[in-house]
Amino acid sequence: MTGDALAIAWRTVSLAALATLVMLPPGIALAWVLARRQFPGRAVLETVISLPLVMPPVATGLMLIWVFGRRGPVGGPLSQLGIDVMFTWRAVVLAGAVMGLPLLVRATRAGFEQVDRRYEEIAGTLGASPRRVFLTISLPLAKRGVLAGALLGFSRALGEFGATIMVAGALPSTRTIAVAIYSYTETGQQAAATTMLAVSASIAFGALLLSNRLAAGS
Amino acid sequence: MRLSAPLSVLAVLSLTACGCAPDPGPGVLIVSAASSLTTVVEPLAEAFERDTGITVELNLAASSTLASQLLAGAPVDVFISADHIQMDRVAAAGLLRPATRTVLLSNQLVVVTPLEPPVLPATSPDVLVSFERIAIADPFAVPAGVYTRAYLESVGLWRRLEDKLVPTRSVRAALVTVESGAVDAGLVYRTDALSSDKVTQVYAVPVADGPEIAYPAAVTAASSDPAASERLLAYLSGSGASASFESAGFIMPKARR
Amino acid sequence: MTVSITLDFSLRQGDFALDIQEQVEARVVALFGPSGSGKTTVLESIAGLRSPERGVIRIGNRTLYDADGGVDVPPHERHIGYVPQDLALFPHMNVTRNILYGANAAHDVGSAAALEQVLSLLELWPLLERGVGDLSGGERQRVAIARALTTSPLLLLLDEPLTALDSGLRARILPYLERIRDELATPIVYVSHDEAEIRAMADWVVELELGRATRSGPWQGDS
Repeated sequence: MTGDALAIAWRTVSLAALATLVMLPPGIALAWVLARRQFPGRAVLETVISLPLVMPPVATGLMLIWVFGRRGPVGGPLSQLGIDVMFTWRAVVLAGAVMGLPLLVRATRAGFEQVDRRYEEIAGTLGASPRRVFLTISLPLAKRGVLAGALLGFSRALGEFGATIMVAGALPSTRTIAVAIYSYTETGQQAAATTMLAVSASIAFGALLLSNRLAAGS
Repeated sequence: MRLSAPLSVLAVLSLTACGCAPDPGPGVLIVSAASSLTTVVEPLAEAFERDTGITVELNLAASSTLASQLLAGAPVDVFISADHIQMDRVAAAGLLRPATRTVLLSNQLVVVTPLEPPVLPATSPDVLVSFERIAIADPFAVPAGVYTRAYLESVGLWRRLEDKLVPTRSVRAALVTVESGAVDAGLVYRTDALSSDKVTQVYAVPVADGPEIAYPAAVTAASSDPAASERLLAYLSGSGASASFESAGFIMPKARR
Repeated sequence: MTVSITLDFSLRQGDFALDIQEQVEARVVALFGPSGSGKTTVLESIAGLRSPERGVIRIGNRTLYDADGGVDVPPHERHIGYVPQDLALFPHMNVTRNILYGANAAHDVGSAAALEQVLSLLELWPLLERGVGDLSGGERQRVAIARALTTSPLLLLLDEPLTALDSGLRARILPYLERIRDELATPIVYVSHDEAEIRAMADWVVELELGRATRSGPWQGDS
């Protein structure tokens, strides 16, 4: 049983890590655009990004199925190419990334907003293109916000349940810690559920400790 | 602390994730089954795997969730639902092979109480009136709850008990709630009551009086391996499987559809 | 080396209105006036950090801004070195990386030699490994100037470079600025409210008051 628990734990952590990597580029880009640019439809964009935070995760999961399921606009073509999203590890990553993205964007955006535009301006006068300014000035100076956002996104992906169980199912091969706890409780396997609970608490504890050290230090 | 350090950690972690498990495809059957079947279906699936070499992946959740997944295009081969309502949802969308649809099992409703305080067995459902709080599965969303509501209405107890009912997310959750003593009693399946040693069965609704509980099963239209799926269904309908089901407390259906 | 500067534009910001019409040929043009008169706004318009509402900005034969012609060259293409009053040294880089920031982007042949000249001129060799937080006021000033110079700019903008320094430091840094004017032959627009600095540096003075030029001409001495 502990072997099982460790396998599930490792799978959950590694898929959450992948979800974090997946959400970073769009998350940073969106945070930058929202922090620095005015444009029509900006409020709409902010709202859409925040939807997974506000909607019940199960509802988000349903929407993901509609898009990425075999009959969906994205899932259909992918399925033709032999790539299935639902009920595979890809669904776990997808659910984690979608649910974590709003948190990543918020924290990163705050990080960018705290970067003094002065530095960006002066970098421009020194000949740096907007892209170079972003990479060498804005992003490094917003580092704390980006890291905090990534950690928040990672934690969210780690504990994600509602959307995950919709898109990835409760299959043994895709089971994350949260889904495992649910399945074990549903089937009366108290001991297994308790083990997973302990594993989950340890990981959460470790992640929070790390997060506090990052916030305090650097 | 540079950004590259945590990024590298993430990258290394993710690399181990890809390709964790094989994708569904030929040789692997995905079976969506109501979670109330778990304790029996899991060993049966394993036995099937040993006998035939066909891998069975069980997707166990609430029937309504399973149906929603199917409607959205989940790559499932076999669907075993806890009532006809959810199965009909999927059938209406043309996602089943109608000829394969069969009723696998039936079940019985029982009234259970926590071990303490001890309650004497009853001879009529009216015993429910004596309790303050009664746990049942959600009477509008979960098959077990829907059956329970139908039964209570048929014996004229629904109105009287409505305010005492504590709806739970699933019949399993109702059982756990009774086990914990947070409620005085619960209405669950006989199979649930038998699986727990922390409840007392106080009244069993006679099958003739109760609602017609049915666990329909069918092969999906989009199944990647219809032949293997039908083989699994046949196995689950066979005598060996029936023995397992019955010893868990399930009732064999009165007639096969 | 002299440069011809055309500043013919208007800019509005809240209650403040800047209106300037100057055509000057000089090595060092000083913008002189009390605070709030628009000196910094002029510099930032030349650098491209502010966009006027109408008019023309030309340096030499390059048009940086022309409202009628639809020209507004972005800052990173103007080749103008700007040392703002707050210096804005990048806090996450050490002295070397700050100074070299513009050099990377410039891609000039012979920029290595030019860089060495600047480092020597401003006596920065001992400071190269320091973090910008470890610098004195005068050192920071010199690093900021060096950073602006490594882009081999066609024009250098200095916003009150000595104002924040005590008189002893001022006396020590002013010679550096004179050296830059004389040895690097980079034209300069120099903002100050100090007559002594202007007397030392400038050959043309534009006096600003409340967003308008009240006087413009070669340095006249006390008046």
